[in-house]
Amino acid sequence: MRRVLPLVAAAAFGASALAGCGAQYSGGGDGPLKGAKIAFGSKDFTEQKVLGQIAVQYLRSQGADVWDQTGLVSSQAVRSSIERGDINANWEYTGTAWITYLGHADPIADTEKQFRAVKEEDARKNDLAWIDPAPLNNTYAFAIKRAKAEELGITKLGDLKALIASPKGKGLTFCVESEFANRPDGLPGLQKKYGLRIPKDRIKRLDTGLIYSQTGNGTCTFGEVFTTDGRVEGLDLLPLQDDRKFFPIYQAALNLRGDLLKEYPQIERVMKPVADKLTTREMQRLNARVDIEGVLPDKVAREWLRDEGFVKD
Amino acid sequence: MTRRNLSLLVTPLVVVVALVGTYVLVGKQTDPLTVSALAGDGADSAHAFDGNVRSAIVEHLKIVAISALAVLAIGVPLGVLLTRTRIRIVSIVVNALFSAGQAAPVIGVLVLLTVVFGLKSWVPYVGLVLYSVLPVMRNTYEGLRNVDPALVDAARGQGFSRAQVLGRVELPLAVPIILAGVRTSLVLLVGTATLATFVNAGGLGDIINDGIKNQRDSVLLTGAVLAAALAVTIDWLAGIAERSLSPRGLRTGETA
Repeated sequence: MRRVLPLVAAAAFGASALAGCGAQYSGGGDGPLKGAKIAFGSKDFTEQKVLGQIAVQYLRSQGADVWDQTGLVSSQAVRSSIERGDINANWEYTGTAWITYLGHADPIADTEKQFRAVKEEDARKNDLAWIDPAPLNNTYAFAIKRAKAEELGITKLGDLKALIASPKGKGLTFCVESEFANRPDGLPGLQKKYGLRIPKDRIKRLDTGLIYSQTGNGTCTFGEVFTTDGRVEGLDLLPLQDDRKFFPIYQAALNLRGDLLKEYPQIERVMKPVADKLTTREMQRLNARVDIEGVLPDKVAREWLRDEGFVKD
Repeated sequence: MTRRNLSLLVTPLVVVVALVGTYVLVGKQTDPLTVSALAGDGADSAHAFDGNVRSAIVEHLKIVAISALAVLAIGVPLGVLLTRTRIRIVSIVVNALFSAGQAAPVIGVLVLLTVVFGLKSWVPYVGLVLYSVLPVMRNTYEGLRNVDPALVDAARGQGFSRAQVLGRVELPLAVPIILAGVRTSLVLLVGTATLATFVNAGGLGDIINDGIKNQRDSVLLTGAVLAAALAVTIDWLAGIAERSLSPRGLRTGETA
């Protein structure tokens, strides 16, 4: 049964690929990647679209012929596409690959070791290469309205235990996505790690989008958020510091088909300066440009590449 | 046994086969995320009817049962009222309102209600009832309108009051059509209740969503098969109720 979903996703992708025929690859020209044909994919949420556009536009400026396949619906579509070779590059997250694609239950706490483990196993099992990750970490966090955090005197997850036990801890609510409520690497694991006992009726299961809005207006005291999401900044939320390093690390890194990297090993050198600039803070800002200000991802990417001096015009 | 009685056995048979098949298939899973999704954190096997799955079924049934009662309490009187009014505009407006309710995407309505009113426990019910009341209301209306006017006249001639005519003649004759509407509403409710997970109401949507988000197909399969089995079973039970509650003279396919 594990294979059924990817097949469906692949079929959907195949249909969209057919519809997109015509002007497939564009770019090309002189540069270190002259002659490389790259079909670049991304998932369909803001950060992936922005990162995807950064890569597409930058790789083109370096002489590669790039087919823009950013914005594919769902992680499965992207993963099965790259496994089948329909696309040959995308930005992937170390934690997602480790837990979701490679099927491990426990993340590795050390950033460096986690990346190396993913890189080694994905190369061995799937002939997929990983090149050095961006410093950004798009992981889970519990966020709270900044003013409320000051009122409660809380800045890190380690403060929660005392807070819940105190009189101030009576009406606290924790809003999470439903799958997060049961996963060993979700709420149960977090409670164990920090020695918490959150009563069941204080845990609310909501859709991702609702969590942000309801944390923003105070209905949820604490909301499960992604650290690079633009709404964290936009709604003035404070992600609590994970002082015992419970959450997996989700660094974004370029994931490539092994044959592509073998033929064009210079991709690694070319992409490194770009990836190095993408910190959590910077990504939050870029995501907010799309989610809060409503600028299109390709424009955000173009401006960023220009401002950072990676492309000229 | 008549052929009709035999055909009544097909549905439960299919449901049982699907459930047992899923149970066996899923029970073999040892992947920790699958186990914790189905059986709860700290469990050591994925036996599908333990822990999380059981509480999801109970929650799901609760959502469906409460919504169904509300649908009956709202749909039937509304349908009756529509046949009592001579003012056409009223029926047009009511019909349009509930048609719009059924056309609106439930997930959108649920999220919108939550954004406006916050995390209230009534939100899921309002969304689901709005979505599924139309078949009951419309069938009550059609059922009453299809009653032979001659029968109503005869009852009136015997000195029945309007209320007596409604209660003793019109409604009993409309029961088969009303029940067909109830059946449709129930099936709609079981399916759409899977969306209640997005506004903190639990149910099988928890399991399904969990399977999608974590890419565990056996979790997704368990949630989906259970929801489908529930819908089919309820439809089957409603079918039996429809047969046995209909006035004897109106039953079809039955020989005396």
